[in-house]
Amino acid sequence: MEKTNKRKILVVDDDENLRLVLTDKLNIAGFDAAGATNGKEGLDKAIEWHPDIILLDILMPIMDGWTMLRKLREDDWGKKAKVVMLTGVEGVEAVSKAVEDGISAYIVKTNESVSGIVEKVNVILRSI
Amino acid sequence: MKKSLLLTEHLTISSVVLCILLGLVFLFFYVTEDVLSRPQIYFSTDLSSAEVQFLIIRIALVLISVLVSCIIYLLLSMHTRTELAIIGATKSLNTSLEQFEKLYEEAPVPYIILNEAGEIHKPNKAALRFFGVVPGEIEGKNLFHYQPEEDKDKIEKLFRYYKSNIPINNEEVRMITKSGAVRWALLSVFEIINPENSTRAGLATIFDITEHKKLDQAKTEFVSLASHQLHTPVATVKWFMEMLLSNDIGELSPKQKDYAVRVQKVNEEMIDLVETLLNVSRIEVGSLKIESKPTNVVELAESVLTELSSQIEAKNIIIDKQYNDNLKDIQSDPKLLRIAIQNLLSNAVKYTPEGGTIAITFKDSFLGDKTIIVSDTGAGIPKNQQDKIFTKLFRADNVTPGTQGTGLGLYLVKSMVEQMGGNISFVSEENKGSTFTIKI
Repeated sequence: MEKTNKRKILVVDDDENLRLVLTDKLNIAGFDAAGATNGKEGLDKAIEWHPDIILLDILMPIMDGWTMLRKLREDDWGKKAKVVMLTGVEGVEAVSKAVEDGISAYIVKTNESVSGIVEKVNVILRSI
Repeated sequence: MKKSLLLTEHLTISSVVLCILLGLVFLFFYVTEDVLSRPQIYFSTDLSSAEVQFLIIRIALVLISVLVSCIIYLLLSMHTRTELAIIGATKSLNTSLEQFEKLYEEAPVPYIILNEAGEIHKPNKAALRFFGVVPGEIEGKNLFHYQPEEDKDKIEKLFRYYKSNIPINNEEVRMITKSGAVRWALLSVFEIINPENSTRAGLATIFDITEHKKLDQAKTEFVSLASHQLHTPVATVKWFMEMLLSNDIGELSPKQKDYAVRVQKVNEEMIDLVETLLNVSRIEVGSLKIESKPTNVVELAESVLTELSSQIEAKNIIIDKQYNDNLKDIQSDPKLLRIAIQNLLSNAVKYTPEGGTIAITFKDSFLGDKTIIVSDTGAGIPKNQQDKIFTKLFRADNVTPGTQGTGLGLYLVKSMVEQMGGNISFVSEENKGSTFTIKI
C-alpha cells in the first residue's frame, strides 16, 4: 500500500460490483479506498493497513462479518478500529448486536444512497 | 363372576321347585289324604260350619305355600337382576379400562405418569421412543433431570410448579435423549391421583416439536439469506446509477441520462418488490419484528405523499388532508405503519381516475381509538369480490389491464396491522370509490 495523507477506507464485501461501486465512489470523494472479498482477507488487510474506517458486510463466505469483527477486536489496533456494518437485513437483533460490538454505524444497503454513505463516513471521521 | 351367576340362577330355580313341591306334598298329605279318609265332607252339599272352617284352613295353607314360593322367587330373581346389572357394568368398565390402557400405551404422544417426587413411573411406548430407551431404563429417574444444563433455571421453575401443584401447560423445553441428542418438546403436567395408594401423581405429556422447530429455523434462515442476497444486487444497481447520474464519472448525454433515470426507477420498483416479498415471507415464518416507538403518523403520511407526488400531479388528483395532531405522537412501529399507509395511498392513486379525490383522515376518539382513513373516488371493488380483497395474490377483475400490482399489498397491510394489534376494514362501491380504515 502506498503512503498518502488520504483517509483509508477498507470495504469488505464478497460482491465484486458492490466493492467496485463503493471503492470508486470513495476514491472520487477523496479517500484512499481498498476492497477485501471476505472476512479473512479483510482481517489480514485491516491489521496490516490500519484503515480509518472498515465498511463490513455480514454474510460472506469463508469468514462472515461478525466473526471478522470478533477477531479484529482481539487485535491491539483492531480493538479501537471504526467499523460500519453493511447489510441487506434490518432488524432488532442485528441492530442490538451491532451496538454491543461497538459499531460506529449500521447501513441497510437498499435504504442508503452512495452519497449518503460518503456522508456517514465523513461524520465518523470528524468524530475521531 | 360367571360362577355366582349360575349359583343364583340355580338357587332361584331350585327354591321355586322346592316351594311348589312343598305345596304339592302339603296338598297331598293334608287334602288328598283328607279327601280319601273323609269323602263325605268333600262330596256332600250339606256341610257343617266346622267342616267348612277345616276346608278353608287347608286351602289357605296351600295358597300360603304358593304365595311364599312366589315371594322367594321374586326376591331371588330381583337379586339376580341386580347382580346381572353389576356384572354388565363391571364388564363395560373393564372394556373401557382396556381401551384406555391401550390408548395410553399406543398413543403417538409420549405420556408419562410421575410420582410425587417427579420420578418417571409409567412411560408409554411413545415416551420410550422419545428418549430412545427400552422398558425399565428410565423408570424411577426424575423427569426434570433430562434437560440441558443451560435450561437449568427454567426447569427448576417448572419443577417447583410441579411440586406446588401448579399445572404446567405446553411449556417449550429441550430434553436430552439417551443418545445425547437434544429434542424440543411442549411439556404439560397435570395432577392425577394414584389409585394404588391415593397419593398425588402427575400425568406428563411430551409433545415432540423438534421437526417443527427445525423447519421454522430453516425458513427463518432462508428469509434472512434471501433478504441479503436480494438486497445486495439491487443496492449495487442503485449506487451505480446514482454515480452515473451525479456525473461522478463524466457527463451523460440527455438520452443516456433518460435511460439511466428509467433504470433507476425500475430498480426502485424492484427494491419495493423485494421488500414486499420479504415482508410476506417474514409474516409467514413469523419472524416479522414489531419495534414500537414514538411515531408521527402525519410525518409518515407526508413522506408517502411526497414519494407519490409525481403520479398524483400527473393524474391531477386532489388530496384532501384532515389530520389530527394527536396522531403526531403515538406508540407504534413507524416502519410497518409507513408500509401500511404507503400501500393504501399508492392503491388509491393507482385506481383513482384523472381529476379524482383522495382523502386522508386521522381520527382520535374518546375511547382512545386512533384511526387512519384513506378514501378515494376510484374504481372500487366489485361486491362479489369484496370478501377476497385481503387474500394473498388476489386482484379484483375490474383492474385496468396493465396496472402494476402484485396482489400482495393489502394482504401485507392486513397482516402487519393485525400483528401490531390493530385492524383494517373497508367499504367500497364499484366505480364510486373505496374507503379503507386502519384502527391502530
